[in-house]
Amino acid sequence: MNMFSSCMITALVILTLPIIMSSTKLYKNKLYPYYVKTATSYAFMISMIPTMMFIYSGQETIISNWHWMTIQTMKLSMSFKLDYFSMIFVPVALFVTWSIMEFSMWYMHSDPYINRFFKYLLLFLITMMVLVTANNMFQLFIGWEGVGIMSFLLIGWWYGRTDANTAALQAVLYNRIGDVGFIMTMAWFLLNLNTWDLQQIFITTNDNFNLPLLGLLLAATGKSAQFGLHPWLPSAMEGPTPVSALLHSSTMVVAGVFLLIRFHPLMEHNQTIQTLTLCLGAITTLFTAICALTQNDIKKIVAFSTSSQLGLMMVTIGINQPYLAFLHICTHAFFKAMLFMCSGSVIHSLNDEQDIRKMGGLFKVLPFTTTSLIIGSLALTGMPFLTGFYSKDLIIESANTSNTNAWALLITLVATSLTAAYSTRIMFFALLGQPRFSPMIPINENNPLLINSIKRLLIGSVFAGYIISHSITPTTIPQMTMPHYLKMTALAVTTLGFILALELNLTTQGLKFNYPSNYFKFSSLLGYYPTIMHRLTPKTSLTISQKSASMLLDSIWLENILPKSISYFQMKSSTLISNQKGLIKLYFLSFMLTMILSLLILNYHG
Amino acid sequence: MLKIIIPTIMLIPLTWMSKPNMIWINTTTYGLLISLISLFYLNQPNDNTLNSSLMFFSDSLSAPLLALTTWLLPLMLMASQHHLSKEPLTRKKLYISMLILLQLFLIMTFTASELIFFYILFEATLIPTLIIITRWGNQTERLNAGLYFLFYTLMGSLPLLVALLYIHNFMGSLNFLMIQYWIQPLPNSWSNIFLWLACMMAFMVKMPLYGLHLWLPKAHVEAPIAGSMVLAAVLLKLGGYGMMRITTLLNPLTNFMAYPFMMLSLWGMIMTSSICLRQTDLKSLIAYSSVSHMALVIVAVLIQTPCSYMGATALMIAHGLTSSMLFCLANSNYERIHSRTMILARGLQTLLPLMAAWWLLASLTNLALPPTINLIGELFVVMSSFSWSNITIILMGINITITALYSLYMLITTQRGKYSHHIKNIKPSFTRENALMTLHLLPLLLLSLNPKIILGPIY
Repeated sequence: MNMFSSCMITALVILTLPIIMSSTKLYKNKLYPYYVKTATSYAFMISMIPTMMFIYSGQETIISNWHWMTIQTMKLSMSFKLDYFSMIFVPVALFVTWSIMEFSMWYMHSDPYINRFFKYLLLFLITMMVLVTANNMFQLFIGWEGVGIMSFLLIGWWYGRTDANTAALQAVLYNRIGDVGFIMTMAWFLLNLNTWDLQQIFITTNDNFNLPLLGLLLAATGKSAQFGLHPWLPSAMEGPTPVSALLHSSTMVVAGVFLLIRFHPLMEHNQTIQTLTLCLGAITTLFTAICALTQNDIKKIVAFSTSSQLGLMMVTIGINQPYLAFLHICTHAFFKAMLFMCSGSVIHSLNDEQDIRKMGGLFKVLPFTTTSLIIGSLALTGMPFLTGFYSKDLIIESANTSNTNAWALLITLVATSLTAAYSTRIMFFALLGQPRFSPMIPINENNPLLINSIKRLLIGSVFAGYIISHSITPTTIPQMTMPHYLKMTALAVTTLGFILALELNLTTQGLKFNYPSNYFKFSSLLGYYPTIMHRLTPKTSLTISQKSASMLLDSIWLENILPKSISYFQMKSSTLISNQKGLIKLYFLSFMLTMILSLLILNYHG
Repeated sequence: MLKIIIPTIMLIPLTWMSKPNMIWINTTTYGLLISLISLFYLNQPNDNTLNSSLMFFSDSLSAPLLALTTWLLPLMLMASQHHLSKEPLTRKKLYISMLILLQLFLIMTFTASELIFFYILFEATLIPTLIIITRWGNQTERLNAGLYFLFYTLMGSLPLLVALLYIHNFMGSLNFLMIQYWIQPLPNSWSNIFLWLACMMAFMVKMPLYGLHLWLPKAHVEAPIAGSMVLAAVLLKLGGYGMMRITTLLNPLTNFMAYPFMMLSLWGMIMTSSICLRQTDLKSLIAYSSVSHMALVIVAVLIQTPCSYMGATALMIAHGLTSSMLFCLANSNYERIHSRTMILARGLQTLLPLMAAWWLLASLTNLALPPTINLIGELFVVMSSFSWSNITIILMGINITITALYSLYMLITTQRGKYSHHIKNIKPSFTRENALMTLHLLPLLLLSLNPKIILGPIY
């Protein structure tokens, strides 16, 4: 009975069918998006079979099927790892993508290139699957770079817009900085362990894994938008909303965290890297939560909250709980994708208005979207017995009870309460109160494509956490007992955030808008990070490349040292040595004198 | 080897005797057939070499370069058709003959088994290239470019002749196959250091090494399309090929003589790729990107480990196809916009969507997207330099990042954004051009399925 691997491969092959189809006539068809969506849903259903088998029997497999090449003693072959992480994540990603594809059939229906858009989404999904199931670093790198490039293409989907192109380039730049870390790790592994296969890496021992783990941390920082390399994620909101829902909330951005989870066997005994991860995650989660507080663009708020949740996942890895981080990846995928889809629904209904100050009162006109948005936000904040609760609460609890850096813990707790604050802000401004949008817009959310896709994720956001966390035996034992106040911390800070935000928001109703304080400016200008890093760094480096590399070195020094100076000295010396000076008169005069002289001599000879 | 050389010679009568409307199609087809013959050499049954005669041999280092050379001739012919459409028939035929002559010299250079023979052919390739650049270039600066090209390479390679005569004198032979058995370690002395310099500088200039690279952007920019293609794709690889061949003679001097050149290339690749960020001229950008990629090859060859040789060989082939494709794309822009300035050709994706797909693929291969062979090459080079010294990863990392930046900068500037009004009525892309791009891309993709045939002799 080996349906396990064959079902999994079938699921992956089904995804490639629409890509192959794109070279036939069907690609010109109006139904192509529908085919893609159906293929994804079939892939999801088929992938559930091995996942069920995995849940039932806990069997893990490594498939190694196509020998690519052997370099000296290192064998490289196509190889899939179907273990805990990939078996759970693949159906989750397929399920989310299925809904998002259905959603984009509604959202992108007026786009003339909708077929190409679906092809890109599917290509992205395939590269993501490659990343998740890869069993060697090269294959992982193919998926890793593949998702990066697909995010470039999808963010820059509306290629006529300068902002979209800049955001796309920015995403590639930040990811590329992370890739350097990945490449360094690959080099290190090849050099020291002579293998790229994961299982071989994990069984070999080396005294000092600091360098490769630092590389992986850098890679994860780039891909998962951790502090320092974070600005690309909010900028990526220039892309279409389905892209934000798929890439920048549930799949691509968690790839960095996923990478660290994959390499956790190397990390679990390395205190240095764990502390670094913890601090990096804590700073990210707080910083981006602060940035989210004052944003007015609904998609930007959700993007910053994604970044903040990614920080939380990093914190979880930092406290040595990779399985919890993985659980949070899975649960986060449901409600965050849904939040993006809800904001997409709002944006589309309001004629591409993204500013929450110009919304208000949407609970009357968009009741279904409102319900989903509120449930999504509650799930995000860790409301008990919604999906987010099962992972977030556990994370906070194990951070509370672990022997960890108190500052990092405190920062994380503050960020958790801020999560509630900015979620309240979205609900308060967009959904409640009086309408502030133009009354002439016809608003209609009753499209089955929209309703069904959100509904599916809504059910996921309510139940998925329960189902996932109860059908999988916990691999690391959660803390069984703890003092009462520690148990209640997560809930308490969240409630505190809710109450505070609600009160603050209510006070804004009647008050005149004050001149913004410095704290406000810090938050709304994203901690001055883009102002500094996106102006100073490119300006200096571009100036250096123009002035010193191009002009000073290439056009002046290198030209002058060799070719110009040689030709100059040649010319000078030739003019100096030569006795031909162009003095025609003088030459003729001397010629005449010679002639006369010779004539005279010849005449008087005889 | 004669079964490639004689057909290549016979291309010349074919050109001159073809009917006026058949010259392109005849030569292209024939050239493609020749390139099919060269594919047989990729199969190297015994690990050593494939000796054809006393004069010619091929091993797994020269066979991929040979295949690249023969593959490129039909592509050059396809690319030049529009450029030459206004020329009289005789000049077209002369131009084609020059390209054929160049291919002939290149084939013999890559397969020569005698160093002096190699040297003579290495120099002989300068003549047709010089004629192509200075006769068919587009601007008056071509004369200057030709001058730079000729003098830099000649200055670099004349000491090599002296060095070769000297080596022949004390070794008795300059045969590649024999030298590797007879070679004695060179003692460390001043005269041997100069011997090393004389042997290496010829190829360093050809590669080109940063600091000696000025001829390259000039020649690339001023040359007609076929000239740029062959320069970027094959002529630069002569340098890498020569270096890999001659370093066997120069052990163990390379171990410490490499340091200044390693530094120069590591520094130069960052400098040249940051120059790319500020280029407004499309062809000059691609030329500088070649310099930066070739710096990686120099680093790899100087490190002299099996891994680095694999990387260098793979990168040479990959870069040959990629840069040639980029030049073709730049030329197809030039034929429509009549300018190499990037900003004049922006927003082309709206007008020429298929061409935009080629641009995308070419840029992605240029920035070494896995699993293309560009990545395999770069990965091995990065790996071997990382093992040589861990610190180089910083420089390599900066270079990788900047490479991605300028490739995508080039893509975004030319393809994305709003198109400007003066390009509203440009010609659509021809089937010829699309076929040209496909023929560049196809080997790249197929080779990434089975990269071991281009990983060189140490694989």
